[in-house]
Amino acid sequence: MTFIGEFDLVHPLLYPPGSVVLLLGNEAIARGAIEAGLGFAAAYPGTPSTEILESLADVAEHYGFYVEWSVNEKVAFESAYAASLCGVRSLTAMKHVGLNVAADALMSSAYIGVEAGFLIVSAEDPDMWSSQNEQDNRYYGLHAYIPVFEAYSPWEAKELVKYAFNFSEKFKHPVIFRSTTRVSHSSGPVKFDVVPSLKSTGRFVKDPSRFALVPAHARKLRVKLIEKWRSICEEVNNSPFNKYIDNGSRRLIICCGTGYGYLMDCLKILGVEGKVNILKISTTVPAPRRLILDALGGCDVALVIEELEPILERDVKAMAFEEGVECEIHGKDLIPLIGELNIDKLIHGVAKFMDVPVPSNFLNPLKCNIEIPTRPPTLCSGCPHRASFLELKWALAKSGVRDVIFAGDIGCYSLGVDEPFKVQDIMLEMGGGIGSANGLAHASNQFIVAIMGDSTFYHACIPALINSVYNKSPMLVMVLDNRITAMTGHQPHPGSGFTATGARVDEVKIEDIARGVGVKCVETIDPFNVKDSIDKLVKAIKFVLENRTVALVNSRRACTLMVVSNARRRGVRIPRYLVDLELCRACGICYNQLSCPAITPMPDKKASIDPILCFGCSVCMQICPFNAIKPSETPSKDWEEVWRVN
Amino acid sequence: MHSKNILLVGVGGQGILTMGRILASSAIRRGVKALTSEIHGMAQRGGSVVVHVRMGDVESPLIGIGMADAIVGLEMMEVLRYIQYANQKSILVINDRIIRPPMARTIPTKNQIISELDRLKLKYVIIDALNLALKAGSEIAENIVLLGSLIATGILSEYIEITDVENTLKEVFTGRALEVNLKALKYGYDACRQHVNENI
Repeated sequence: MTFIGEFDLVHPLLYPPGSVVLLLGNEAIARGAIEAGLGFAAAYPGTPSTEILESLADVAEHYGFYVEWSVNEKVAFESAYAASLCGVRSLTAMKHVGLNVAADALMSSAYIGVEAGFLIVSAEDPDMWSSQNEQDNRYYGLHAYIPVFEAYSPWEAKELVKYAFNFSEKFKHPVIFRSTTRVSHSSGPVKFDVVPSLKSTGRFVKDPSRFALVPAHARKLRVKLIEKWRSICEEVNNSPFNKYIDNGSRRLIICCGTGYGYLMDCLKILGVEGKVNILKISTTVPAPRRLILDALGGCDVALVIEELEPILERDVKAMAFEEGVECEIHGKDLIPLIGELNIDKLIHGVAKFMDVPVPSNFLNPLKCNIEIPTRPPTLCSGCPHRASFLELKWALAKSGVRDVIFAGDIGCYSLGVDEPFKVQDIMLEMGGGIGSANGLAHASNQFIVAIMGDSTFYHACIPALINSVYNKSPMLVMVLDNRITAMTGHQPHPGSGFTATGARVDEVKIEDIARGVGVKCVETIDPFNVKDSIDKLVKAIKFVLENRTVALVNSRRACTLMVVSNARRRGVRIPRYLVDLELCRACGICYNQLSCPAITPMPDKKASIDPILCFGCSVCMQICPFNAIKPSETPSKDWEEVWRVN
Repeated sequence: MHSKNILLVGVGGQGILTMGRILASSAIRRGVKALTSEIHGMAQRGGSVVVHVRMGDVESPLIGIGMADAIVGLEMMEVLRYIQYANQKSILVINDRIIRPPMARTIPTKNQIISELDRLKLKYVIIDALNLALKAGSEIAENIVLLGSLIATGILSEYIEITDVENTLKEVFTGRALEVNLKALKYGYDACRQHVNENI
């Protein structure tokens, strides 16, 4: 298996001006910000946005700007926003649902405006590859009076980010840069320009009538906001990123974001390149009215192509209606509303619109006649969460508690939703588990367990934990503390002991927070010590049952992927475990109840451990009732040491 | 439309993303436009992973159905999972390896998979990438072995040569990792050449 960090990669953002470099869309966004003179960046990780801040953090020292992983998106937004008010060009980045967390600040930022250019990158996830919904944040732009710009490729993303910074500074107004999975997680050639001298500190000039939103100030600012919005609506008509291609046709296709790239390829595949007029739009909110009306004017029929919601389509239809333009306008009747766009989805609508046949490869694809088993993501072999889940279930059984609701949360441990654990009965949003557990604890007579990861705990669980103490909610709170934000690729958080740029800092301890807010029963377990973990969990469960209030157990063990990666880099041997087939009685506890991917049943149902997949956690050895599992070698001191990563 | 489309498929953790980046970087080094895109969801956790690589006159990063000029499979079942991207002219470069999904009750055998490829009348080469990677010095170099094999099929010859990939590896890796990867690339290339020679 390959692990990130295994090899010394030359950092792509450090190539000199003039270079053409293969960049991930997120790296291109980062490079655009650097070339715009970025001085401050703050974010909370979330797919598909994470690599923006991650790559900025890698080169922060080199270029001299400030970068932080913030505790959540709201704090990241407020931090970066405040930097802009000090005259420092700043950026905050988050996944689409992260903007919900920051929405309160977002709405206010439009009223106050900005000083230096301020960019909000919203990386959205059509098709929900790693998300709970596919909300379209262009609506936030309309809702808040904040412009939303979108690119179709990494190279356009870099340029558009620079334009967006200048736009923001010109209008003293925030700008949302909307990316989607297919922009953020595609790579393409990007040409580097010069990095200007940057400003990473400035000065906050006091002006409460502008910066302090008491009602009297807000009313005046609302009037100014609407005036400013009118000038922004005019300015977007002049954006060089909106492009009209007049092919002398009576047909028009209007597209924005990723739609442009797919459209151009579809037209080539269909052999109708140059047979339709195209209006490519990058400033979707507000839609460039003059450009759209000019393009519609000479056409009989138009098609709007955009990913997710029909935002541009509705604007185009409204404009046509208001101006009495006689043009038949299509959109989501021909282009799918659900999921991300691609050539396969677009080809049918575009072919119909262009009145040409769909090529046969799209209609009659090759089909496999044998059944291929699904490959759902699973907890990694040696994952401490797997041990924690098993111990939790065994402790509940030992305590005689049968009717349990597991309020889950967002992270690797969300995978506990599946067999054999099934310990994620509800999963709403970041921090939603413990909040809903509060309600469940009072509104049901079942036993309530709230499960969350360490990063999620800091992100949005602490107010709900305080609520559970205050309102005496009988429930067990179990934190799965693997020392890092694991799901998104190992970004540090307040408990990790180091920052985005690697500086050592004091850990903010989960147990200290719990005790500090008044939780009376706080236990720490090491999930790789099965017996002791079960004993402590039983104790905490008993506390909840007897005292009818909250107890917290922190299950603390570093993420195995991170540890194995460190071990490989340092040349530390990983002790593998083996099954003694003489002793194995084929009970299946190891592969059925622990379900470690390294352990598989053989035809006689005895267990077999794959030495390439085994990461030496020893949990299977501890739970084997017949002592049939043993280490291949005595684990070394270095192996013990490498687990204490931070 | 003058372009080449390569689909890389396998299981999370096999180094497919790295493979896509090295392939695309090698093209860009020659001034050829190349786009890659990864579809992997939560696949660092052993899920199915697909990387699309497109070269030449292309504007969007995803390959259309039936449009792959080559499919490189780091795992055999994954090739069949994405077979709709292939067409009768596609070349398939397949690792001789099956990775069992942890909770799967039954999985097809290698022979069943190969018969299915034959039934679909597809052209393929099977490469024992794990052993070649081990011979090169690390079990994690399977991806580079298969990259060598892909180049050896000649499917990308109008855009890149083996030396372009070597040069990219030299820029990306250092020390022992570089040594292992250069060997892996060569072993994969030679194994596939031999295959192609035997079958022509």
